[in-house]
Amino acid sequence: MSETEVRITGGCQCGAVRYALHAALSNPHICHCRMCQKAFGSFFAPLAGVPIDRFEVTRGTLAVFRSSDPTERGFCRDCGTPLTFRHVEAPRISVSIGSLDEPEKVPPTHQYGIEGRLAWFGTLPTLPGETSTEEDVPEAAARIAATNHQHPDHDTEAWPEARR
Amino acid sequence: MTGTAFTGGCQCGAVRFRAERLGRASVCHCRMCQKAFGAFYAPLVSAFGLTWTRGEPAHFASSNLVRRGFCAACGTPLTYERDDVTEIAIGALDDPTRAAPVIEVNPADKLPFVDGIPLLPMQPPEEAPAAADFKARVVNHQHPDHDTQAWPPAAGFGS
Repeated sequence: MSETEVRITGGCQCGAVRYALHAALSNPHICHCRMCQKAFGSFFAPLAGVPIDRFEVTRGTLAVFRSSDPTERGFCRDCGTPLTFRHVEAPRISVSIGSLDEPEKVPPTHQYGIEGRLAWFGTLPTLPGETSTEEDVPEAAARIAATNHQHPDHDTEAWPEARR
Repeated sequence: MTGTAFTGGCQCGAVRFRAERLGRASVCHCRMCQKAFGAFYAPLVSAFGLTWTRGEPAHFASSNLVRRGFCAACGTPLTYERDDVTEIAIGALDDPTRAAPVIEVNPADKLPFVDGIPLLPMQPPEEAPAAADFKARVVNHQHPDHDTQAWPPAAGFGS
């Protein structure tokens, strides 16, 4: 497959912003730095990138926060999902791996920003696992599934879909 | 008692909160949480005595039972709210080390590579000079990890 035929899709939780990548993702990594932690409300940011001319917003518009002079972060203004990160001088843009429709296909290969790595980060794989929401509270899980307002993990012709 | 409350907020500082007490800290692997956070899982801790001390979050009703709060100005995911509990994003705390997760929720949805992440190699050393140069030049617009009287700083960034 030639690079121009690649199409990798993703978007925010509510579906107001959808994007397509027309190149294979490179340098999948997580960044522990405090800037990425706070932007993602999390322990790290999971990012992978493409040349910026291979990135296309296919629905809506990215809201952007200039988190420092040389960087900007794109998100959905309707639901908040962190979507992109870029150095404004660089010919490249990274997307949040969790916003991809198929994040399982983009395992990270490196850890960046190690100075911000939280002390207990290495112990997370040893945590006990709770039962699933479906097993634990089946009635609530069924109601959530029946009224899920999250955009599906594929492109849609129109969104939101007609009221159920 | 002052000094022991849990403060935090979004990246840009438009929304700040304070909680008197935190409950159970967890990571949730479900696909709803993955997509809301643009990440591999949601790190959440239940918060009690929660007040918004600057601004307020915007909300997205991700289902009929749950709404999620975020900063409309910078996007930081901030809350997961059900009628019986509000959880806050651990990374939004000024000191996330005070909320070490103790349990994984919905582990059946865990992405296959997640447990291997802590063992991944660090940034390749050949990239270090460029990274150091970047850090030397960066002028940070992120709100500091403590409450502030006014924000953004009156003197502007980079002063």
